[in-house]
Amino acid sequence: METVDRIYEKLSRMGMDEIVINEVSSDIEQLRFSLNSRDLLNQWYENEYSVFTSRGRRMAEVTLKSESEIDTKLNELKNMIDRVPENPSFFGINPAKQYYGNVGSPSIADIDLQDLCESAINGAVEAGAERSAGLAYLVKFKHVLKTSYNEAEYSGGGAELVIRSFSGTSTGQESLHFGPAFKAGSIDAESIGRSAGEMAVSGKDISQGEEGRFKVLMSPYLIGNIISSSSEFLSYYAVDSGMSCFAGKLGYRVSSDVFTLVDDPLDMTGVGYRPFDDEGTPTRSNVLIENGILKKYMQSYSTGKKSGYETTGNAGIIAPAAWQMRIESGKESFRDMIAGMKDGLFINNAWYTRYQDYKNGIFSTVPRDGVFRIHNGEITGSVSGIRISDSVTGILKNISGVSNETKNTKWWEEIQPSIMPYVMVDSVNISRSF
Amino acid sequence: MAGELIDQIISYTSGISNFSDARFMSVGSKGIAYRNGEFEGMESSDTSGYAIRLVNDSMAFVYTDSEDWTEVRSKIDLLLPKTRRHGKNKISEIKPVKASWKVDQKKKIEDMSIEERIEIARGHDKLLDDLGATVRMNFIGDKKISQHYRDSDGTAIDAEISRVSYYYVFGVFENGQFEQSTGQFGSSSGYEYLDSLGLDERLRSEVRALRENLSAPALKPGKYDLIVGPEISGIVAHESCGHPTEYDRIIGREGALAGESFLTGKEFPYRIGSDAVSVIDDPTMKMSYGFYEYDDEGIRARKRYLYRKGYTDEFILNRESAAILGKEPNGGGRSSSWNMEPLARMSTTYIEPGEHEIDELFEGVKNGVYMKSFTEWNIDDIRFNEKYVGKESYLVENGKVKGRIRRPTLETNTIKFYSSIDAVARDLEFTAGSCGKGEPMQGVDVWMGGPHARLRDIYLK
Repeated sequence: METVDRIYEKLSRMGMDEIVINEVSSDIEQLRFSLNSRDLLNQWYENEYSVFTSRGRRMAEVTLKSESEIDTKLNELKNMIDRVPENPSFFGINPAKQYYGNVGSPSIADIDLQDLCESAINGAVEAGAERSAGLAYLVKFKHVLKTSYNEAEYSGGGAELVIRSFSGTSTGQESLHFGPAFKAGSIDAESIGRSAGEMAVSGKDISQGEEGRFKVLMSPYLIGNIISSSSEFLSYYAVDSGMSCFAGKLGYRVSSDVFTLVDDPLDMTGVGYRPFDDEGTPTRSNVLIENGILKKYMQSYSTGKKSGYETTGNAGIIAPAAWQMRIESGKESFRDMIAGMKDGLFINNAWYTRYQDYKNGIFSTVPRDGVFRIHNGEITGSVSGIRISDSVTGILKNISGVSNETKNTKWWEEIQPSIMPYVMVDSVNISRSF
Repeated sequence: MAGELIDQIISYTSGISNFSDARFMSVGSKGIAYRNGEFEGMESSDTSGYAIRLVNDSMAFVYTDSEDWTEVRSKIDLLLPKTRRHGKNKISEIKPVKASWKVDQKKKIEDMSIEERIEIARGHDKLLDDLGATVRMNFIGDKKISQHYRDSDGTAIDAEISRVSYYYVFGVFENGQFEQSTGQFGSSSGYEYLDSLGLDERLRSEVRALRENLSAPALKPGKYDLIVGPEISGIVAHESCGHPTEYDRIIGREGALAGESFLTGKEFPYRIGSDAVSVIDDPTMKMSYGFYEYDDEGIRARKRYLYRKGYTDEFILNRESAAILGKEPNGGGRSSSWNMEPLARMSTTYIEPGEHEIDELFEGVKNGVYMKSFTEWNIDDIRFNEKYVGKESYLVENGKVKGRIRRPTLETNTIKFYSSIDAVARDLEFTAGSCGKGEPMQGVDVWMGGPHARLRDIYLK
């Protein structure tokens, strides 16, 4: 009997009403580099069981690593269930029998990360970058799920490449992910490195940026950052908690009509691919905002029951979350968007996005890795020392254009796996340091 | 027994590498959440494994949670050829040390019942509700860490660590206006720490401040004298002194993500501010959230002046960055879990208190602002261009604290901030945080703090 089955049987004998076991075993390789050479190779081999159980509305969760911990941790879990209060907002896990079909990827292509990183570094050097830092991942994992109602498993993974190039204090960055469907040899690392290098070189004459309202062409990384940081506001958990700028706006306009936002975990070009959620509901493409109208919140079975809606396949049982956000591409090309800009900014990336007001979505974020002044369709300079100080709802309502190109963006904790276009936003509030 | 392979591992890796080290770490953590009057759940997590580093022509780690020697050895053998490829391979080696240390607890984590934990979270949720906080989340957490470190030179360090934490976020919503607050406290100790915090009074004060903010006016932009409270001097010490003096950042090792430092390429000592400013990082402060006696690379911890009287002084070093600098490591190598590499990290970082009474700082201010605490903040990746939005804030006129102001904003840079300080008070307070760095992201437990400090003639909006 497999470990998952043993955990399940033991919990059943303990009299639990509902059980969810997620086992993830992973084999992950990472190579990190800086100053154009390798720093470190990291290799992980891990296996972990997350065990959720409930009796009535009492619920608790444990994680454990091995067979030898089963008795101890499950006895602890029972002790917790016996003694914790009920959670009035818990309405159970999805009881429907599910059919998953063929999911996942039979195998993840093997790539040599050191060769990949060296190609990226060479591309940046050819573009004139003085130095580059970055990393690459090759991820392989198997996810097994067993609930009181369903069993499923899939193999997944993918690759990632991040390169940040420097020319003096000017920087440029590319940070892309490749889902389980990627083919060996399909990642053009040299071109990715060249792009980061070119951006660093083109921004080397930097001046202090100015305050005010600007038209801003946001790169896939910048809009990916804003969407990633605000995606939790589209979870019913945040709405129910009273900490979402989208609360009370279902069916209402929350952005301009050129903006459509989808959570798309079934797109296998990205590492956010995921065929079922944490309670075994098959995932699907969910249109959250359609042509500016808020269509739905992300739901688990339990939050759906509480709010009167169906699950969207986004469990987290307690707190639903996005898997792989995508902004639907538009009609314009990036080049045409730049060419049509009379006066504004092009910002490639940002970090350290922080909120002073969740209910109104008020935040600021710090642009980096390519911040350019645009006049009459031409780059006229590079700026630093500025900050986007605005609100999520303000930015979404001011989107005036979306590019026809997209990038698979993922970067550190700042950008979750997502598929993002370039986005033109009018009247963005820019602040600066004094 | 978990961890028992540690000596066998280092015995094996010593024979196949120029340098190697191995660390076994187990982390058992428990957490309880209360949200808007409802118990939300309890989680108990156990994780453990080995981090094994080989240094040959290049450096590599293998992380495995297996306790089977044959399997662990096969993973090491798979890693070995990858250390024969070219790359950086400098690492500091030290005179061997054997030691053990542990965190003392009075009200022991292992003796805390589920009911007692729940009551702490429930009680604070109810208090906040009674005070008028319309949205509330309260989290109580604790963890017990067991660690065994060995290196190929003979160092052997064993540690038992206990940490307790409390985190809240709440908001008040009245007449269409909203204000929110977050707070984090933590200690290397048992639950006696939470008893000592005076959390009830802190929460009363916080809610009162938010409610008064709702109707407070905005600040008229301009230049003011500014008095910052310990919460702000703490975050500034952390963000614009601690991070930029992590030597791995200065040399570009974290360039792709966390970034470099405004100190990259500078000659040292480098002037960062007025001679009233000194900033310390001290892992040896007992009960602090970042307390440790030996770091996660077997190096004895010690207090370090990062800025001293307005100039850079020491840097935070792990074994790798110390080797590149050509100095002894100074106990800054920290890792958040068994499956993370040790990086140059802070512990307890604070602006050193001065000689002034707090009242003296106010006495010299004709037209100023007192920013006691903050809400939104951020800083650029070289740790230079930074922003702090005031949470509890007041106007100061002729030395007296006047009415509240709502969300005043200090958006400045590191040199201007520290250069504007002309007086530092003798008080000292700390808050806790989870300091983020590395890929995968590692949040390590830290304290940050400082005294009240006065800045002259600085632009606020």
